[in-house]
Amino acid sequence: MKVVIMGCGRVGARLASLLEQDGHSVTIIDNDSYSFRRLAPDFKGTALIGNGIDEDVLRSAGIEEADAFIALTQGDNRNVMASQIAKHIFNVPRAVCRIYDPLRRDMYAELGIETISPTTIFAQILREKLESQGD
Amino acid sequence: MYVIVVGGGRVGYYLAKALLDEGHEVLILEKAAAIASIVSDELGSICVRGDGCEATTLASVGTNRADMLIAVTGDDEDNLVACQVAKHMFNVPRTVARIRNPKNENIFKTLGIDVIVNTTNLILESIEEEVPTHTLTHLRDIRDKGLGIVEVKIPPDAPTIGKPIRELSLPEGSVLSLVIRKARKPIVPSGATILEAEDQIIAVTSHESEEALRAALSGQ
Amino acid sequence: MEFRNILVPVSGTEVDEEAITLACRLAKKDKAKIMAVYVIPIDRTLPLDTELESEVDKAERILDHMENVAAGENCSLETDLLQARDAAPTIVDEAIQRETDLIVIGTTYQRRFGQFSLGDIIPHVLKHAPCRVILYQQYTP
Repeated sequence: MKVVIMGCGRVGARLASLLEQDGHSVTIIDNDSYSFRRLAPDFKGTALIGNGIDEDVLRSAGIEEADAFIALTQGDNRNVMASQIAKHIFNVPRAVCRIYDPLRRDMYAELGIETISPTTIFAQILREKLESQGD
Repeated sequence: MYVIVVGGGRVGYYLAKALLDEGHEVLILEKAAAIASIVSDELGSICVRGDGCEATTLASVGTNRADMLIAVTGDDEDNLVACQVAKHMFNVPRTVARIRNPKNENIFKTLGIDVIVNTTNLILESIEEEVPTHTLTHLRDIRDKGLGIVEVKIPPDAPTIGKPIRELSLPEGSVLSLVIRKARKPIVPSGATILEAEDQIIAVTSHESEEALRAALSGQ
Repeated sequence: MEFRNILVPVSGTEVDEEAITLACRLAKKDKAKIMAVYVIPIDRTLPLDTELESEVDKAERILDHMENVAAGENCSLETDLLQARDAAPTIVDEAIQRETDLIVIGTTYQRRFGQFSLGDIIPHVLKHAPCRVILYQQYTP
């Protein structure tokens, strides 16, 4: 599978390594080259400097042949815009997007974007941890 | 009309002012506290501090009764999301977004934004009109048809001067509509019309044929 | 120092009575006119001219009560009922229109998020008032 990841933060860098270990071809985009220090030293995929909401940058990242696109920058709006470009302009089969704001997450889920809200998930995990009998 | 303006920067501020003068109910949503308080001081209580992309903020200012939402922050992605939230969660009938990157026009259109204001292209267009050295000037786009109305000015040394139009190899999809000559009435050109120096030719053309049209008319 | 037009914004809290009483005593010497104003805030989810009956009833009760308080001080009181998005700029506009030369505004000691707070209205009025302002804080031992 060919995967394009936007945002080389802790999650993006880790996901890139995991996918690579599983034998996928990974391209990761970030607008700050300093972010690429987070990539594992043996990362063999492509790291590309650029703005992920720019069509041309996405094209040079190989979005036209990608099987999946994942948006993981700090900005909910950037993520949502990039995912929609991937889905509706480049017809990438899967576009997954991180949205911190739960309300925005729900709306874009209804609009057909695969979305994950770390806010909701993490709060749930914490609640379960606290309310379980602590083992 | 109730109009919500997202972004209280210079564009949002003057836009709100103009809309107020026309008698509309206007609300500016501005994220930055400092800017929000300046706008409130200047324009009165028409500014709320808040994120125009957040559904809770939009709900609290009555977006469901808004007739229009105009997003003019400096970031294209914020403008897109503000318009999409307004449209899909609050059924705002008309959404307008400002874009900075001209390439986003197509994307925004695909994603359902009603009106897209491309500031970069607007400035470029007025520069082209002002600078006479351009042989071809964009006058107007014909939306959704991929066509534009252009003006071509025949340079004084063009090799095409003195030739009838039928002898020029005009690109397919371009139509010459009008020839304007100094101190004379504009004429609708035919194949027999002979080009003169300084002729201004108004033509309809597809975007792809623009360059070929300019070359055919100016012979350069 | 002479006052001709005194404006007293009221909001239905217990300090209103004392603010009106203070205004009456200040007014006596110069035979100043006193105007009590109540602003009904209209949420932005509603058009500005929406008539909120229960709010209007409440406001009228408060203003009637203020008239009684002023009568107790042998003063006559004019009252005005306004509706607006934000109370503070409305109070300032009212002071400008009526050529008020003194605003008497009452407050009670209050805390917000655990800190002493003057709220949103008073700082705005102090900052933008077109005339003198007396801020009267009620003391409850």
